[in-house]
Amino acid sequence: MADATAPNDELYPIAVLIDELKHDDVLLRLNAIHRLSTIALALGAERTRDELIPFLDESVEDEDEVLVALSEELGTFIDYVGGPQWGHVLLSPLENLAAIEEPVVRDKAVESLNKICVDLSSQQVEEYFIPLTIRLSKADWFTSKVSGCGLFTAPYSKVSPPIQEQLRQQFGQLVHDDTPMVRRQAATNMAKFVKEMPAAIVVEEMIPMFQHLAQDDQDSVRLLTVEILISIAEVVPKEQQASHGVLLTSLRSLIEDKSWRVRYMIADRFEKIAKAVDEEVVSRDLVPAFVKLLKDNEAEVRTAIAGQIPGFCALVDRTTLLNEIMGSIEDLVSDTSQHVRAALGTQISGLAPILGKQETIDHLLPMFLQMLKDEFPEVRLHIISKLELVNQVIGIDLLSQSLLPAIVQLAEDKQWRVRLAIIEYMPLLASQLGVKFFDEKLSQLCMGWLGDTVFSIREAATHNLKKLTEVFGVEWASEAIIPKVMAMGGHPNYLYRMTTCFAISTLASVVTMDVIAKSILPMLEKLTSDEIPNIRFNVAKTYAVLIGVLRRLPEQGTIYALEQAKTPFTASPRGQQLIDERIMFSLDKLQKDDDVDVRYFATTAAAAAAGLAVSGGEPMNTSP
Amino acid sequence: MSDLDRAIAQLRACRPIPEAEVRELCHKARELLIEEGNVVTVTAPVTICGDIHGQFHDLMELFRVGGDVPDTNYLFMGDFVDRGFYSLESFLLLLCLKVRYPDRMTLIRGNHESRQITTVYGFYDECLRKYGSANVWRYCCDVFDYLALGAIVLGASNTLSPSGDGEAQGSEEDIEIEVCNADGQIMSQFPRQPRGAGNSINRQPPRGRSPNGPTSNGVGPSGTAGGGAATGGAGGAVGLPTNTGPPGSGASGSSGGSIGNPAGAVLCVHGGLSPLIDMVDKIRLLDRKQEVPHEGAMCDLLWSDPDEIDGWGLSPRGAGFLFGADIVKVFNYKNDLSLIARAHQLVMEGFKEMFDTSIVTVWSAPNYCYRCGNVAALLELSEDEGGLGIFARSNGDVNRSDGGLIGGGSGVPGSGPRGVLMENDLASLKPGPARRYRVFQAAPQDSRGMPAKKPVADYFL
Repeated sequence: MADATAPNDELYPIAVLIDELKHDDVLLRLNAIHRLSTIALALGAERTRDELIPFLDESVEDEDEVLVALSEELGTFIDYVGGPQWGHVLLSPLENLAAIEEPVVRDKAVESLNKICVDLSSQQVEEYFIPLTIRLSKADWFTSKVSGCGLFTAPYSKVSPPIQEQLRQQFGQLVHDDTPMVRRQAATNMAKFVKEMPAAIVVEEMIPMFQHLAQDDQDSVRLLTVEILISIAEVVPKEQQASHGVLLTSLRSLIEDKSWRVRYMIADRFEKIAKAVDEEVVSRDLVPAFVKLLKDNEAEVRTAIAGQIPGFCALVDRTTLLNEIMGSIEDLVSDTSQHVRAALGTQISGLAPILGKQETIDHLLPMFLQMLKDEFPEVRLHIISKLELVNQVIGIDLLSQSLLPAIVQLAEDKQWRVRLAIIEYMPLLASQLGVKFFDEKLSQLCMGWLGDTVFSIREAATHNLKKLTEVFGVEWASEAIIPKVMAMGGHPNYLYRMTTCFAISTLASVVTMDVIAKSILPMLEKLTSDEIPNIRFNVAKTYAVLIGVLRRLPEQGTIYALEQAKTPFTASPRGQQLIDERIMFSLDKLQKDDDVDVRYFATTAAAAAAGLAVSGGEPMNTSP
Repeated sequence: MSDLDRAIAQLRACRPIPEAEVRELCHKARELLIEEGNVVTVTAPVTICGDIHGQFHDLMELFRVGGDVPDTNYLFMGDFVDRGFYSLESFLLLLCLKVRYPDRMTLIRGNHESRQITTVYGFYDECLRKYGSANVWRYCCDVFDYLALGAIVLGASNTLSPSGDGEAQGSEEDIEIEVCNADGQIMSQFPRQPRGAGNSINRQPPRGRSPNGPTSNGVGPSGTAGGGAATGGAGGAVGLPTNTGPPGSGASGSSGGSIGNPAGAVLCVHGGLSPLIDMVDKIRLLDRKQEVPHEGAMCDLLWSDPDEIDGWGLSPRGAGFLFGADIVKVFNYKNDLSLIARAHQLVMEGFKEMFDTSIVTVWSAPNYCYRCGNVAALLELSEDEGGLGIFARSNGDVNRSDGGLIGGGSGVPGSGPRGVLMENDLASLKPGPARRYRVFQAAPQDSRGMPAKKPVADYFL
């Protein structure tokens, strides 16, 4: 195609690429395909049309991987063949690719064809694209027909009414095809195709097709008709729907389908269906259907319908909700499948605004209480994470009376991962419930975690304290938190004393100069002579953090608060003074420690204080 | 960040480090380990762990429960590799931590740290799969030969400090054992048993209050009989020990004046005892830098199991021996030990104390082989509240610490150098250190970061 020995150096890489298109190595061919645009650019539009495209036309006998790449590249190739007026030349190779056995290649080819179709003129579409669609749809083998199914929607609005009619007829044949693969593809595409047509045509021609598919003997086809039903219902105005009884009959039979996969699709799209049909259908047909699905035999169906609870319940009136639906929802609380209960847990809070205060107390609270005791932590967490909605409806007092004991119980769960998850909700709960409430009910809990037997909980507890300080402010922290943290420093077990060091490091950015000078530094100074080296080097690590904070800390306020308020601030000289007089003194002592790790971390911290870059260090020299 | 810190970070993410780095790491580790004796001296506080067997994510869970390195001191009793999917990452991480924080981390050899065993049980294949050659396996095996055979823990407290807030207990009782269940809540506590005045060696049977139930403790007549045999053995054949050196050594040096270590020493070894070893010092005399032999003292230490028998028995494993309560009691008495901690055997509850708590099995691989359904345990020995027995660990490395010669008045009266622990009360058996067991479960699937079924997927590097 191109002369590989071309004297022009600029063209040489192109020649190489073109050679690679024919190379034996798949990877090289793949690479060349990805650089196809470069080749085309070098060749120019005309030679691309006359030489490159015909060449590609014949290269469909390749590895699937290469063909996928080729299908994708061709979708963006219009500019390289000379613009939209030449766009149709790309159709031929893509048509070949759309007939390939491998679905991934076909899907990409169809995608690219549709992309090109958008840029083509009506005349081009009628002359080149429609014949292609028809050819593929009439092919002998199902692979081409499957591809053909995807090529109706894009050109439909670009062509004249007679051709549109021809397209619809052709589509009808695909719907009635013998192979389920083709019918499935037709069903998938029909949902989109319907949206291109006016209501009259939909009623006249599409509803019969839908009806045919909805009665298919394959459940894999039937389940796809749920989307078509929604599309049709969205296109046909609600007031006309009543006159097309077939829609309703199909809906009813889909709801009662013997295959759970079909019922699952209905359950999963229930809110969308309810929004597309008129109110009468909702109250007459969908409410009983909803209740029925809530009691379905298959856990998957119940999980799906549980996800639709707030969405659907918002569409029905309160009396219906309370009298007909609520009972079945309450039954789900003790469902045998944890997945159903977990799905219910995420959705049930959404009912609170719909039900209002009194009904929430009467109906939802008992459910919450039971689900908070659920044996699966996921269920309990879903409830807690959505408490805010309930708080807005029933208020803090009621919430605390009814739910708090359950939360406290959870916070003391024997599984540490459950405790960990609860800790993460504490700042959220604290900000929702306020400082007074927190001090009374939750503070004890948060402090207790500092002494948890599991390291990860102690660590999370210190982070929790930081977030709480961000919520309630430093005044509160210095009264409520700091003394407790400092008290941990006197614990007989080194692992718990260490918590004090961790907590100080974490809290450093949310406390004031005064707290550091009066509470934190004396404690750390005491810990520098701890007997366990692990404590001493953690003190050194903590000093390193404190130095960073003191360098920036102004006389009043905390770094976190000032940064949040975006107030510019300058460091107080007192910070540097504390570093020089107190911290450096301790660090000097620690640098002479007889434990190597203590010396290492003390030296690192001292170097940070001196503003030096810290490098490698002693412990790397492990050989004498 | 140094290369070593970077390697640690990468291994923590469960990604293997390049072959060249493994080579360098193993080289450094060997230089470090060659300085350690066959029996490493470790001071409390320390957290003792049993078999890991390549269960990387459960090792991470262990760190989550017990605390991270270097903050918590750890002693791993071997069997880092084989059976699990991540032997390589697990062992290299532990080795990196050992090299980076030699004083915070102790590794001793298990029977799986051997060329012959790793070629059969998975580590060899894993190295081959992950690197394409056996070089990394060879480097690791060279390190195995240098791992210590045992460790002696000194200075453990014999009372448990309250865990957490201390609100749970509030009693004045002298708590000897505490078991923290699945994750932390105290399941049970066992106060120290009063010992009869005239019965200096036999412990009172625990009267069914043992954490493992009465059966596992050799209760009743058999336990007493075993104890009686021990008395006879100690009194007759050996005589009362008169050595005054540190526990676990036959030294008789006397610097006078320093108070004894109240809790006695704990010997940690992977398998158990050997008929060829009657004194801990005999372990120190072995030439350990070799492949684990098929027989002999070194083999026995890594292969033996305790069993409800009298004396020695043949091991069904084909290597090592079975040994009974009498053997353990005589050994502990002669060596001034209060407890032997060992691993090597799966125990469903994570730990199991036997023979009147003279020996304990600690197992740290939860849901062993991803199917056994067992829980795992850590054994925490806390620091001695009296402030005794804390001395710097140097392992002979002069640069690393001063060996306790300067600074740090740790409250040891008298003029003796720190680090030498005396036991004055020669006639009594050590009361045993307070033991806190933390039981934990396998890491949940979602923290493993990959689907359960196809662990082979990331082997193609």
